[in-house]
Amino acid sequence: MTSSRWFLLAFAAALALLPQLPVPEFWVTQLNYIGLYALVVIGLVLLTGIAGLTSFGQAAFVGIGAYSSAWLTLNLGLSPWLAVFGGLALTALAALLLGWITLRMSGHYLPLATIAWCLSLYYLFGNLEALGRYDGLLGIAPLSVFGLPLNTGRSFFYLLWALVMLAALAATQLLDSRSGRALRALKGGSTMPEAMGIDTFRAKVTVFVLAALLAGMSGWLFAHFQRSVNPSPFGLKMGIEYLFMAVIGGVGQVWGALAGAAVVKLLEDQLQVLLPRLLGGSGSYEVIVFGVLLVGVLQYARDGLWAAVVARLPRRARRRDWADAAPLPEAARPPHGELVLDVHSVRKEFGGLVAVNDVSFQVRAGEIVGLIGPNGAGKSTTFNLVSGVLPLTRGEVRLRGERIDGLPSRGIARRGVSRTFQHVKMVPEMTVLENVALGAHRRGRRGVLPAMLRLERDEERRLLREAERQLQRVGMADRLDELAGNLALGPQRLMEIARALSADPSLLLLDEPAAGLRHQEKRALAGVLRQLRAEGLSILLVEHDMDLVMDVSDRIVVMEFGTQLMQGTPAEVQASAAVRAAYLGTEH
Amino acid sequence: MKHLKTWLAAAALAALATGAHADVTIGVSVPLTGPTSALGIPSKNGISLWPSTIAGEKLNVIVLDDATDPTVGVKNARRFVTEDKVDLIVGSAATPIAIAMSDVAAEAQTVQLALSPIPLPEGKGAWTFRLPQSTAVMSIPIVEHWKKTGVKTFGFVGYADAYGEAWLKDITALATAAGIKSVGVERFARADTSITGQALKLVGANPDAILIAASGSGAAMPHKGLVERGYPKGKIYQTHGAATLDLIRVGGKDVEGSFVSSGPALVAPKLPDSNPSKALGVRFIEQYEKAFGPKSANQFGAHAFDAAIVLEKIIPMALKKARPGTKEFRAALKEALETAGRIPVSQGVLNYTATDHFGFTPDTGVLLKVTNGDWEVVK
Amino acid sequence: MDLSIAGILLLDGATSGAVYALLALALVLVFAVTRVIFIPQGEFVAYGALTLAMLQMGKLPGTVWLLAVLAVLATLRDAFAAVRAGQPAGRIARDAARSLAGPAVVALLALWAAPRQLPLVLQSLLALAIVTPLGPLVYRLAYRPLADAPVLVLLIVSVGVHFALTGLGLLFFGAEGFRNPSFWDERFRAGPLVLSGQALIIFLVSAALIVGLGLFFGRTLRGKALRATAVNRLGARLMGISTDGAGRWSMGLAAFIGALSGLLIGPTTTMFYDTGFLIGLKGFVAAIFGGLASYPGAAAGALFVGWLESFGSFWASAYKEVIVFTMILPVLLWRSVTHGQTDDE
Repeated sequence: MTSSRWFLLAFAAALALLPQLPVPEFWVTQLNYIGLYALVVIGLVLLTGIAGLTSFGQAAFVGIGAYSSAWLTLNLGLSPWLAVFGGLALTALAALLLGWITLRMSGHYLPLATIAWCLSLYYLFGNLEALGRYDGLLGIAPLSVFGLPLNTGRSFFYLLWALVMLAALAATQLLDSRSGRALRALKGGSTMPEAMGIDTFRAKVTVFVLAALLAGMSGWLFAHFQRSVNPSPFGLKMGIEYLFMAVIGGVGQVWGALAGAAVVKLLEDQLQVLLPRLLGGSGSYEVIVFGVLLVGVLQYARDGLWAAVVARLPRRARRRDWADAAPLPEAARPPHGELVLDVHSVRKEFGGLVAVNDVSFQVRAGEIVGLIGPNGAGKSTTFNLVSGVLPLTRGEVRLRGERIDGLPSRGIARRGVSRTFQHVKMVPEMTVLENVALGAHRRGRRGVLPAMLRLERDEERRLLREAERQLQRVGMADRLDELAGNLALGPQRLMEIARALSADPSLLLLDEPAAGLRHQEKRALAGVLRQLRAEGLSILLVEHDMDLVMDVSDRIVVMEFGTQLMQGTPAEVQASAAVRAAYLGTEH
Repeated sequence: MKHLKTWLAAAALAALATGAHADVTIGVSVPLTGPTSALGIPSKNGISLWPSTIAGEKLNVIVLDDATDPTVGVKNARRFVTEDKVDLIVGSAATPIAIAMSDVAAEAQTVQLALSPIPLPEGKGAWTFRLPQSTAVMSIPIVEHWKKTGVKTFGFVGYADAYGEAWLKDITALATAAGIKSVGVERFARADTSITGQALKLVGANPDAILIAASGSGAAMPHKGLVERGYPKGKIYQTHGAATLDLIRVGGKDVEGSFVSSGPALVAPKLPDSNPSKALGVRFIEQYEKAFGPKSANQFGAHAFDAAIVLEKIIPMALKKARPGTKEFRAALKEALETAGRIPVSQGVLNYTATDHFGFTPDTGVLLKVTNGDWEVVK
Repeated sequence: MDLSIAGILLLDGATSGAVYALLALALVLVFAVTRVIFIPQGEFVAYGALTLAMLQMGKLPGTVWLLAVLAVLATLRDAFAAVRAGQPAGRIARDAARSLAGPAVVALLALWAAPRQLPLVLQSLLALAIVTPLGPLVYRLAYRPLADAPVLVLLIVSVGVHFALTGLGLLFFGAEGFRNPSFWDERFRAGPLVLSGQALIIFLVSAALIVGLGLFFGRTLRGKALRATAVNRLGARLMGISTDGAGRWSMGLAAFIGALSGLLIGPTTTMFYDTGFLIGLKGFVAAIFGGLASYPGAAAGALFVGWLESFGSFWASAYKEVIVFTMILPVLLWRSVTHGQTDDE
């Protein structure tokens, strides 16, 4: 058993014991509120810390959960255990609707939208007659377990903290899975995950609904704990406080959610009591201190408390348990020489600028085609057209006879095209192995729920085995557990190639793979490329390193100013005067 | 961080250490911040005028801010009954918070003196007693005046919150019983910068009188809005929450000649000597203005001040039955309140019974008219 | 609803819209130069109005204390940093003196002038002088260390600053509201429509600011230089543009516009310590309308919000806030889509 498992067990045992000890009632109440907040903040960690979608409005979902359960138990006499499903269903519905609108927004529009609907829902709660307007609903029944009502702080404590621990565990397990990797890839932008076959919009909606459900559950518990609901805890101020808790605890850490909730709650309480005693006068001081603290934390400790704790703990290497996992099924490679990629007169215009001017070329199975040209020739743009990142203005791209222009990049990825990027796109907080396993995303199918319940371990081991295999191929098998963000540029590029290979492609698009590699690494890369070609893979390669290109390519396409200059074997290209003129200029 | 831990530990110890003495411990929760801080801060000021001992027992008063948040109010109440072991809870001045606290008080079988006339459902509120007059009692002078001046229709514009809601319900009930019809209901928020739309609609319905349900300086804006639309000032009525000099200060000449329902405390010097509240009201105004400046006296300070008068009556009664800090003492306080009979306070005369926890007699309210920047009692 | 009512509502909406436009303009200004979504702008508005109210009552406004404390804190922080960087003592002392000079003069002036009940215009100028320097000081203390952070971090910092300033507002000005005397008491009538002189001033100032700011940032070299700092800080510094100066200057201007707005709005409505937030939020909606980049766009957005509020409060006054804040969502969606498919920043 690892040390963190021991720690977790000890923590759970302490929690289980606590209500039995003669701890003052006040502290039990505090811990209950901390637990309620922690549930919401765990969702926020997933949403904001992992997926990068900042939400100020989680409090509104807490409100939906609380009000629906309160209304159902008061008006329809339902048991709270049934009402929770109604509450969660309504929360999920609201989240789907709001998510559909909000998640299409990019950059800073998203948090602004969360502020908007948080305020909107708050005023709605306060104005609906059925919800008691600003007075709210009173006299809500407590939860009961086997006939015993949980109407004291201590009895409620067990249920609440059991749920909190389950939620935290589920979240941690989710992050360490195929779906979790997809979520963690969202933060760096959608280009890379889409190229791995991940439907980023669906992933965003999923994590949004998940966070909303956690908040809704917190609301349900809150309604039956406080036994009265009214709009004030569901307003913008609380929404901001939840985010504050996430930031203080460490917005990228699930256990940081508990730490953050605890610190903020305790601090708030003590400030409320202490400051008026110290300074006298009316007590708006804690709001001021809060504001100042928020700014201070962001300036000096942006990664939050838990990150500082984690940094001090020894990082344990992942246990290698996949040696006996069955290999993933591989698609049949097209026979040698078959036409894999047919690019026919593709054209890309950006307004008046013609970036790619009716370029045509073909790539056959078991062939390496190099695409070269001076800077600004349009090579990467052509790449992006082929891989679906940019839409075509005109022309056709066919993959093994099927038209793929117009498909989104994940559609093209699913048809067996895999790529690397000119500027390395990876998830720096994940290990090398996990980054590479991201490439194998579309070869798995177990989703969020099995991941949280740890029911997908078999598939996960197979995916990790595949990832290790690819790393061995590019010669990085000894760096499995390193954080990808710690690598130098060269190994990062190799990792990207391994990731692309994990997708089991029939066509590999490599965008300047040798940039930043040392001489020996380039030779190793050339060896890998030749080996892949021998296995029947087709490779389209954009490169500036002429030695490498001339060495491995079967054919070369030369572009200049968006136009195709010539095509031919390396020897023909080297001999061409036009190519020399394009690179070096003409003699005068 | 080292110091923070020390602070936290010290605070925890301090919190634990309170509450086991023979003093009478009273927990007060009022909104000192947030939108209803205009009710909470004067309440706290009124509490600071309390005597330090009653019947030989020292008063140990703990004041906490509930920030206009019922969740915090409930937390404060729970803390009072479990940590501080209070004998009595006072609060809150904001309706939703006081309502939420009433459940905690009932469960802990501790008397709650609410600083807001909260409505509670049937069967609840056995331990809650209100210090302010109910909106029903405060509606009486207004509707009486309407009956006297031949008002047949009225319009309403009030806060979109518990205060406005309570007033709407009570004034409509009382007016309808007197044959006066409601022709328009509009709502607004304290933070609004104008009520042109609402005023247009309301004035367009041409009621004989308009009631504004707002409080403090927030009542000035709708008043000016109505006057701007051409509605005569003499037909505008305000509720007791607006019976403060802040209304006159911010409203200026636009509130001249308008009417305000109020408890007797603020105009105590102008009351006839036979009025039982006059002496107490005069004393309240004197003490409050001495501590907080001239023209600062208001309703909420008066209610908090009255709490002390009530305590001075019931604590000696309860002390005969039990010692402070015990369950019996708290029960004795409840009994004392219900059997004490008439208690004159600065805001009227209280007379709680086992069935009536609102207490104020129907003739408590007075109608005031704004005349030359000050109040004039309307006979 | 007949024509005259519609007319009155349109005018009322336009008047509120002009108020929101004042805030929207400042928000666009700050964002265009520093990428900060300046939520506390509303607080400057409240501070401006309430500082004048305090002066009107003959009391020393609490904002003077805030000014002094912030000036001292900022100077100390800069001095520490300079000492650690090994700068010569003479230079440190000189910079500190320069940093403290302005606020010190204003503070002393306020101390002298507060009980003296000077005429309205002078008191207004004093209020402006007290609140405007708060802008650069807030920038130095809260934002400068995070100048390169992503927009979201800056947004959270803005929230923190907003909390702090609101809490201080309650401390300085109390919970009750104030209404300042107006600058121009005239009322202009055209049939059922009534326009107060104060509202006319607000319209004129808004229009002048839209034109002025639009021209400055769009046409002058200095304005473009300031915008450059938001696009690429390092590049701007390499071109010799002081990014720090740009930040201080833009927040100073925003504080000035905020305080001015407070002085102008103060007579038309009751100002509480927390009035600024809701006005600021609506001004913010208006700024979003213009994509946080265009001044005329922000003004159009402000009119839209003003009219939405006006007609909403006529038709369904209880649900007015719900209507206004729900309507933001389609606007945000539209804006986000037309803004382009920028992946991340």
